[in-house]
Amino acid sequence: MIDLINLGVKSIFIDNMIFAYFLGMCSFLAVSKKVNTAIGLGLAVTFVLTITVPVDWLLLQYVLKEGALTWISPEFANIDLSYLSFIMFIAVIAAMVQLVEMTVEKFFPALYGSLGIFLPLIAVNCAILGASLFMAQRDYTFTEGIVYGFGSGLGFLLAIVALAAIREKMKYSNVPDGLKGLGITMLLTGLMGIAFMSFMGISL
Amino acid sequence: MSTETLERNKHESLFSKRRKKFLVDPLNDQNPITVQVLGICSALAVTTQMKPSLTMAISVIVVMVFSNLAISALRKLIPTRVRIIVQLAVIATLVTLVSEVLKAYQYDMYKQLSVFVGLIITNCIVMGRLEAFALGNKPWDSILDALGNGMGYGWIILSVAFFREILGSGKLFGYAIFDAVGIHNFPTNGLMVTPVGAFFVLGLLIWVLRTRSGYVER
Amino acid sequence: MQQQSNTYIIVFSAITTIVLGGMLAMANQLLKPRQQKSIELDTKRQILNAVTDLKGKKGKEILDFYNQTIDGIVIDINGKKIEDGDNGEPIKADKVNVAGNYKKPPEERVYPVFVYHKPGDADAVESYIIPVYGNGLWGNIWGFVALDTDLNTVKGASFDHESETPGLGARISSEEIESRFKGKKVFDESGQLKSVVMLKGERNPESMIDEHHVDGMSGATLTSVGLNNMLQNYFKYYSAFLKKASKKNVAAL
Repeated sequence: MIDLINLGVKSIFIDNMIFAYFLGMCSFLAVSKKVNTAIGLGLAVTFVLTITVPVDWLLLQYVLKEGALTWISPEFANIDLSYLSFIMFIAVIAAMVQLVEMTVEKFFPALYGSLGIFLPLIAVNCAILGASLFMAQRDYTFTEGIVYGFGSGLGFLLAIVALAAIREKMKYSNVPDGLKGLGITMLLTGLMGIAFMSFMGISL
Repeated sequence: MSTETLERNKHESLFSKRRKKFLVDPLNDQNPITVQVLGICSALAVTTQMKPSLTMAISVIVVMVFSNLAISALRKLIPTRVRIIVQLAVIATLVTLVSEVLKAYQYDMYKQLSVFVGLIITNCIVMGRLEAFALGNKPWDSILDALGNGMGYGWIILSVAFFREILGSGKLFGYAIFDAVGIHNFPTNGLMVTPVGAFFVLGLLIWVLRTRSGYVER
Repeated sequence: MQQQSNTYIIVFSAITTIVLGGMLAMANQLLKPRQQKSIELDTKRQILNAVTDLKGKKGKEILDFYNQTIDGIVIDINGKKIEDGDNGEPIKADKVNVAGNYKKPPEERVYPVFVYHKPGDADAVESYIIPVYGNGLWGNIWGFVALDTDLNTVKGASFDHESETPGLGARISSEEIESRFKGKKVFDESGQLKSVVMLKGERNPESMIDEHHVDGMSGATLTSVGLNNMLQNYFKYYSAFLKKASKKNVAAL
C-alpha cells in the first residue's frame, strides 16, 4: 500500500509529465492562457490517463506480450505481438478520447466550447501515449498502472494550471517581441522546472 | 496552406521555385518548432546529447516523408469520416517499422531513446503536415514538404542538443572536445543536463530566431 | 460505390488494416533474428565488460570470445545448482531474465553465475561474474560484478541504468566509477558479509576508502544509495553460493 502511495506522489511531483519528460507540451502551450480552460483540459487528461493506462495494461498482458495468448491455447506461447503495441495503444486512446468528447459535449457544453479543438487533440497528446509506454517499459502491475495514470494526470493538471495562472498575470508585463508567446513560456517552464526539482530530494 | 494545386504547366521542373519554397520555408520562416509551435514534446527529451538527437531527427524525417507520400498518394481515396484514424494508423505503422529497425541494427540507440521513438506518433508535426498539406497536394510536393519540415525540426533539436551537450558535459557526439583542445576541468553546467536546461536553451533560441525574422506571436 | 458511403468506408478500412498489418508482421518476421542477436550481443558484452577490456572487438568477435571463455550455471538462493527451468527445458544462464526475476521474492528467484575461464580451457577459472539489479533514482539500475577466484575480491564491475541523470547518477556506467570497485572485498576476515559500499560525496579522505568502501559521486547520493542497496542485496542472495564455491569446485555443487 505504501508503495502505491509512493508511486502516486512520485508521478505527480518527481516524475512530472511536463517538467521531467516534456510530454504534453503542445496542448500545454496552447491551452495554458486561461486558468479555467487549463483546469478543464487537465481534468480531461487525468480522466483519459486513469482509464487508458489500465486498459493498455490488459491489452499488453492478454494479447500483446510474448506468450500472452496462452489463455486461448497453449500452442500460442511463442507468439510475441509486442510490435503491435504502438498501433493498439493509440487505437485505445483515440476511442477513449472520442468517448470523453461525447460526454463533455453532452454534460458540460460550456467547457466543450472553450476547449474547442483541443479536446480531440488529447488523443495525440504525447503524455497519454507516453504514460502507457512508460507503464509497459517499467513493467507496472495493474494497480500500479491505475495509480500511475491518475498521478501523471494530476501532475499535468498541476503544471498546466500553474503556468496558466502565471501567463494570465503576465498579460500586463512588458515581454520583448521575440520572446512573446512561445519563447517566454519556455523560459517560464524552465524556471518552474527548477522549482519542481526540489522534490527530487524527497526520499520515499 | 492547404491548397489544391492549380492547373499548371505539366513540365514543372522537379525543383521549381515553388517547390524550393516547400524545402526552404520550414527551415526558418515556417519552422515547425519555433514558428508553428509543433513537435516540442518529444523534441526536448532526447536533446541531452547530439547522437540521440540525430537519430531522432532522421527517424522523424523518415516517418514524415513516407507518411506524407502515402497519404498524398491515397488522398482521393480516403473517406473523410475516417481520415484521422487512417492517418494515425499509417503513422503508427511507420513508427513501428522505424522502431523495429533501430532495435535490430542500433540497439544502443534504441535503448537510449526508449519510449521517445514511439512518441513520434504523437508528434504534432507529423500529423499536422498530413492534415495541412499531404491531403491536398501531389506526392512529390508532399515529399518535399516533409523533407523541409523534417529538416526544420531536425536543425532546431540539433542546435539545442549542441548547447546542452557542450555546456552540460563538455562533449560533442561523445567526444570530450574540451579535453582534446587541452582545456581540462571545463566547468560543466549540471542544469543543462536536466530538462530545465532544454527549456532555457530552446526559449533563448526562439528569442534569437524570432528577433531576426521579425515574427511576433499574436 | 459512392466514396462517402458506409460500404466504401468499411471496405477501405478493411484493406488498410490488412495492408498495414501485413507490413508490420512481415517486418517483424524479417527483423526478429537480427533483434535477438542485438539483445544477446548487448547482454554478453555487458557480462564480459565486468571482467575484461573488450576494446576494438566487434559483434561476432565478442560472441565468439564469450563462447570460448564463459560457462553459465544457474543456482537458487541456497547455492544449489538448477538444471532445468520451469518448462522442463535445460535452463541457460544468459537467458535468465534478471529484471523479471527481480519481481519475485528472493527465495523464488533463479540466479545465474557466469564462470569466466581462459579461452578454451574450462578448468582455468579466472573469475565468477554475477548479475545485480536494483532501483536507482529515476528507474532501474543493474550490472555485473566479477569476483576473483577467492569469491571475495572484486575483479571488476560494469553498471548500467535506464534513466539516471546524465552527469550525475548516470556516472555509474562510466569507467571512472566502475574501476573504483576493483580490489574491494565482499566479506571480511571472519566471513561476515560487508558488501562494497559507496560513500556519500566525492573526494573522501583515504582513511575512509578501505577495502569495503569506494568513493562516492558528488550530486548523485540517491543513485549511490540505490547502488549500495543493490550490491548488498545481491551479495546476500549469492552468499550461500559464494561460501560453498570458495570451498570446492563449482562443478561439484
